[in-house]
Amino acid sequence: MNNGDLTTLTIIVGILHSGIRLATPYLYAAIGEMFSQRSGVLNLGVDGIMLMGAFFGFFTVFKTGSLLLGVLAAAFVGGLMGLILCVVSITYQAEQGISGIGLYMFGLGASSLLFKTMLGTVEGIQGFSELHFCVGSFCLADVPVIGEIFFNHSLMTYGAYALVPLAWWVLNKTTWGLKVRSVGQNPEAADSLGVNVIQVRYTAVTLGGVLAGIAGASLSISLLGIFQENLTNGMGFIAVALVYFGSWKPVGVLAGALLFSIVNALQLWVQVLNLNIPSDVAVMLPYLLTIIALALPFRRSLQPAMLTKPFTRGEN
Amino acid sequence: MKHKRWLLISLMLIFSLLLISCGGGEATTDTEESTPADTTESADTAEEDMVEEEADTAVEDVAAEADVANIEQIRIAVVMPSTITDLAWSQAIYDSLLRLQAEAGGPDVMEIAYTENMFNVTDAAAALRDYADEGYNIVLAHGTQYGTSMFEIAPDYPETTFAWGTATDTGADQGLTNVFAYEARAEEGGYVNGVLAANMSSSGVIGVVGPVEAGDAKLYIDGFEAGVLAANPDAQVNISYTGSFGDTALAAEAANTQIAAGADVLTGSAQQVVGAIGVASEQGVPWLGTQSDQSPIDPDVVVASQLYNWDGVLSDIINKHQAGEYGGSAYALTLANGGLVMDFADSLDADAVAAAEAAEASIVAGDIDVNAAIAGEAPAAADDEAMGMEYPDLEPVRIALVMPSTTTDLAWSQSMYDSLVILQEHYGADNFEIAYTENMFNVTDAAAAIRDYAADGYDLVIAHGAQYGTSLFEIAPDFPETSFAWGTTTNTGADEGVTNVFAYEPRAEQGGYVSGVVATYLTESGIIGLVGPVDAGDAKLHVDGFLAGVKDTDPDIQVNVSFTGSFGDTALAAEAANTQIAAGADVLTGSSQQVVGAIGVASENGVPWLGIQADQSPAGPDVVVVTVLYDWVPTLLDMITANQAGEYGGRVLQLTLENGGQTMIYDDSLPAEAVEAGMAAEQAIIDGSIEIVAEPRN
Repeated sequence: MNNGDLTTLTIIVGILHSGIRLATPYLYAAIGEMFSQRSGVLNLGVDGIMLMGAFFGFFTVFKTGSLLLGVLAAAFVGGLMGLILCVVSITYQAEQGISGIGLYMFGLGASSLLFKTMLGTVEGIQGFSELHFCVGSFCLADVPVIGEIFFNHSLMTYGAYALVPLAWWVLNKTTWGLKVRSVGQNPEAADSLGVNVIQVRYTAVTLGGVLAGIAGASLSISLLGIFQENLTNGMGFIAVALVYFGSWKPVGVLAGALLFSIVNALQLWVQVLNLNIPSDVAVMLPYLLTIIALALPFRRSLQPAMLTKPFTRGEN
Repeated sequence: MKHKRWLLISLMLIFSLLLISCGGGEATTDTEESTPADTTESADTAEEDMVEEEADTAVEDVAAEADVANIEQIRIAVVMPSTITDLAWSQAIYDSLLRLQAEAGGPDVMEIAYTENMFNVTDAAAALRDYADEGYNIVLAHGTQYGTSMFEIAPDYPETTFAWGTATDTGADQGLTNVFAYEARAEEGGYVNGVLAANMSSSGVIGVVGPVEAGDAKLYIDGFEAGVLAANPDAQVNISYTGSFGDTALAAEAANTQIAAGADVLTGSAQQVVGAIGVASEQGVPWLGTQSDQSPIDPDVVVASQLYNWDGVLSDIINKHQAGEYGGSAYALTLANGGLVMDFADSLDADAVAAAEAAEASIVAGDIDVNAAIAGEAPAAADDEAMGMEYPDLEPVRIALVMPSTTTDLAWSQSMYDSLVILQEHYGADNFEIAYTENMFNVTDAAAAIRDYAADGYDLVIAHGAQYGTSLFEIAPDFPETSFAWGTTTNTGADEGVTNVFAYEPRAEQGGYVSGVVATYLTESGIIGLVGPVDAGDAKLHVDGFLAGVKDTDPDIQVNVSFTGSFGDTALAAEAANTQIAAGADVLTGSSQQVVGAIGVASENGVPWLGIQADQSPAGPDVVVVTVLYDWVPTLLDMITANQAGEYGGRVLQLTLENGGQTMIYDDSLPAEAVEAGMAAEQAIIDGSIEIVAEPRN
């Protein structure tokens, strides 16, 4: 067996192009989760929110044909799911690890039920198509290597990458970002300075929900153009892990998402090239790498001090 | 398209709300131009049971001739799902009413009121009640979907006659005395049209554009297909259902598709067919009509029609009403009683007409039993019977299914669930109970579910995944009179002393081999991509067989295999398909529920896909060209009959091409030589002349 006409360059371009695209849902979900965790709330329900976002985004596009409406519907439903978690975890101070799993189960079940009653079978839609950045007959997408890797993605993929600097700016350069960081680190101090801890956590978690909803939509109406029950298959949990991996920083999250996705793309190519490696090893690669990266002595102290700890005024 | 329909439905919702807010004063509307939506008419499916249920009432056989010359003054109202000009179901009855009116002496003797476009059942119920309230003597609810509401309304107006169809149920067992039921035995004219079509077609391909698979449309199409195959067993009848009665544009598209697929004679039913007839007219393809006379659209193209003549039925209802008999009879339009009339154009070939008329005469004389012909040839569920499958008599049975994915995964879990549903449809929900638990990716949860089902007294508990085996062997000994089953495996636990476990295994390498053979005819680049889940179970067998099939046919073709490491990672499967295409593959295959992602990518890139397990064509109708369908029906029946004979386990059951556990579905778009090669491989596997050898892989 040989792959004579495949040059090393084709393979590298293929891996990078795939990796960039695969990272899209992880980026939306993990950046959203980062805001939530920085405010001190662990949201383990990301996967459930993604599923609801994926379904409503898909269903809206399926019925109306409008991609924009699809994204908005996904964002709205995601925000609503985030609010549910706020009520349970912040107002009623339920154990965050458990309430998040509850939300996940709800999202998994509800999206399946809605799919069965409203669609019944897997259907396809025309989702976001890939942009080629053409001026006249010249297309950036046709530029060798650079164009093939970077200028051949859908709007939602670019949106995910644009979110990274935006999230950094919001978190570090705005008053609201400062409040988020402070209520996650030392809510008593923030409270004494007049910051409404509960309100800030509500907005951060709801924003996380909105982004998780969009993450789901990026799967169903951009990458795949279909909806299937349990479409995310646990991506939301990987997104939560990516937040830890990225040390609660947008750039860290970006690095983690890219690493994970590119290694995933790499393993697919490894198999296609019929290299003399068992498929099981190839499949293990991304997870193996993630574990190694997590074990490296990064600064764990960056974890928000009050993560998973509910806040009640006047205690301590 | 979808966009438009959604808009239409919303508009109609608003419209019907307006209608309700008017207080129902003037229910008769005359919106001839609006196309009915499909929403409520799909209720037909739900009511189908009622249609098929043999009512106690004997079916009345009345002559088609009207006898209304001497009637007293009468007022008749009809509520219909479509319009009086639909050239189909609704128009047929309205035309009959007009003929009766003329014969009876005009509007002074016989007053007719009607409400069109009652696709909303609630609106229809309001209209029915209004008419009864206003003192109409006879109120016709002209649609199966109106039955439930009508049965509620009828008792309030005991001296008003109600009638409905397609139905055979007069509500006598519910104590109703003022309801007539009527139906058109459309399969009879369908059969005649089928014989005609087979004699007209030179390509041997005949296209059918149907609405939904229910009511008189289903009868017509079943009869049609039986007629075609009786006249020419080699002919091919392509049936496409639009899923709607009123989607004219979709029906037109369906006709276009049929013609593109080689059909040179077309037929179809419901009001939507005006779209299809338009296309037939444009392309000069002959059309065979049913229900109403559709020749006004293009007399040159509409060359034969089965006409519904309700005159005899309606006049009998009128006479009975005036004699004080308000209901209780069921009527059927047949060729014999003249309620169905065949009309052939003069332009038709004389031999073809002679064959059709001979068939008609034989049906009338009782020499041809159309329903028996249908049972021999009907698609889907009846296939098993055609293959010599017989459904044994069973005691009532309760079956529980624990599955790793969902009933709609288009793969492993769905294939088993679909087979259970087929059996349930055959034996009835009372005798064949199904319970299931989905998404049991966690083995501990699955074990709990399995134990629960056994404790609840289910007769057969199916643990549908190789991963459940260990737990199963721990649970099974606690419930010695419950049968358990699991797969993919050949281990019944007999070594461990377990006696009540069945093992099952699809020999996926067989279907995989055939797919591999077909795939070699589809690739031009010489590279085929395979997207697998993990290298185990039936996925591994499929890969082994596929590789062998390709290699035996053309050793120069390269198959790139990539496993995603997961059964459900749809996104990664999509990316794997992208990678395969980037690496030169121009044909793709794969297994497990994740592949819908890969099929999406295949669709986008126009790359043919060869599927296995369940029919995956919904995910990519244009690219899924071959399917290895798992049919669990024989396996399930084996286990159930063994269980009921006191044998609770111990058998290993395999799904093979030979025993019908695997069925190959070839799409019409495939090159003939590919299909021939596939079928030859199937035959060779069955008779043992091909031995599938799995090569060691990395």
